[in-house]
Amino acid sequence: MSTTDPGARLEDLLEESSDIHSDAMRTTGVVLSEIVDTGKERRSAEPVDLDERRAVGEHLAGTAGRLSPGVLPPGALAAGVGLAAAFGAGLLALSAQAALAGTPGDIQLLQTQASIENLAVATYGVALGLPFIGGASAVPVVKAFVTQTKAQHAQHAAAFNSAIKTLGGTQQMSPDPVLLKIVDAAKPGLTGPGAVVKLALELENGAAETYVKNVSAFADSASKQLTASIMGVEAQHVSVLLAVQALVSAGAASDITLPPPVATLPAAAGSVGFPNSFYSTTLARPAAEGAVS
Amino acid sequence: MSHLNEHSIAGAPGEMQITERELAHMTADLADAHADSLPQMREAVEEWTAQHSAGSTPNSPLARTFTRRRALALGGLAAGGIALAACSSSSGSTTPTTGGAGATSGKAAAGAVPTDVRVAALAASLENLAVGTYGAGLAAAGAGKLGTVPPAVATFAKSAIAQHKEHAAAWNAILANAGFARVTGVDTAVKPIVDSAFAKVTNVTGLAQLALLLENVAAATYLNGLTVVSSKEAVATAASIQPVEMQHVAILRFVLGEYPVPSAFASVSGARPVSDYPRLAKA
Repeated sequence: MSTTDPGARLEDLLEESSDIHSDAMRTTGVVLSEIVDTGKERRSAEPVDLDERRAVGEHLAGTAGRLSPGVLPPGALAAGVGLAAAFGAGLLALSAQAALAGTPGDIQLLQTQASIENLAVATYGVALGLPFIGGASAVPVVKAFVTQTKAQHAQHAAAFNSAIKTLGGTQQMSPDPVLLKIVDAAKPGLTGPGAVVKLALELENGAAETYVKNVSAFADSASKQLTASIMGVEAQHVSVLLAVQALVSAGAASDITLPPPVATLPAAAGSVGFPNSFYSTTLARPAAEGAVS
Repeated sequence: MSHLNEHSIAGAPGEMQITERELAHMTADLADAHADSLPQMREAVEEWTAQHSAGSTPNSPLARTFTRRRALALGGLAAGGIALAACSSSSGSTTPTTGGAGATSGKAAAGAVPTDVRVAALAASLENLAVGTYGAGLAAAGAGKLGTVPPAVATFAKSAIAQHKEHAAAWNAILANAGFARVTGVDTAVKPIVDSAFAKVTNVTGLAQLALLLENVAAATYLNGLTVVSSKEAVATAASIQPVEMQHVAILRFVLGEYPVPSAFASVSGARPVSDYPRLAKA
């Protein structure tokens, strides 16, 4: 738990993360292959699972009507799309394997999820343009986290869009229109790390809770599994942000290091990152909120 | 020496008393949020129970015939994980946990046990193992066997225990309402590995590494379990717990000086098979 050169240590850790990520990607690749299989099975008239269909119908009932997709801030999405494209090239190739029967409920869910990811990519991009997040005055670990998290959201967006395409839907490249308004309204107030962390927490919790809810609603098991493989990652983002928020609020931003000064952290810091035994769904976004019109 | 009292930070040199108060206040707020989430979980359990009690008719969710994908996924569960692939089913425990795989009461279940029930039992046994391991860690710390224990680490362990107990209770409620005995024992395939590792733990770092292993196994098992459980309530239960285990992983990695969110996608590597808890009994 010690290091002599924090910068070099962080680089090593990110490399190590890439190795772990590669392992997880193999799993994700399998999941996306399953999506392809699912489409093939459906085309061959596999009996419909009525219970699962009913679950989707119940999930969709009562949700807001479709909303016009918003527009990302100029250039904000470009970097994210680039990352997603680099990551997604292999995954998207899977799409070419089959033109699939549509599952409107699943596609809507995936489109909304992609829209949430698109907004996260754009928002973290905006954050990185702020001097106290991505500039000279930034806390190195926070800057690294924001950079890495933005890249991970781009990968999520690419994965969801790959699944959408495979299921025969229209890919969602725009942000969630409702959440975009919240982000736009928050932008003028992003004058310090605390405000940025608060906004990021809102987005991350919204994403995580949406996915936790949607996992129960998908008719397609592979889409469910893909979403499940991402929900916990968003929850991890939440954990880190909660810890950072606590330290920033307490005027202890200097303790945001990797490794942290565990011996001197307050006792409450040990649990601030995982407040609930069960992940809530109260902040879940409506199923059709980010659907393509 | 240990510092298991979370208030022991007050007065310690170089530590932040004001920060402690502020964080305690934030934690109280978060506890309220947690209380809000519990009714949702109970509702899910009740729904699941209602569905299950409705019958083991061929049309009930739990009695569905496996699709090919579910069968393949279950096969994946049976294949076990990578990190714990060498697990045996022998015992020889040293970790103070309660009971073993057979620690259920009542007569053995007759006939085929629904997959959702088997997954619930596996999940409960893993949660029990986590509770026992963290508890053993705190006991060792209290006995001064792990050197200095930072207050934040002690709080983490206590909070994790509380959450794992709630997870186990949720699964046991499902089992009980489905007519099966509650699982009070632990995953006996994993336990020997944990016991062996625990015997070598001499400090907080070692304990954190062991906890990280267990949390990763739990998260992977839930993720894999989502491919085989069939009722939407069982899915919802697993889905609401898996992210929490992932959060435990993130904080443990952070404490260990590792990047807390190493991958954009969670992995099923290390997932445990339902065969880890084979002896289910009717209540």
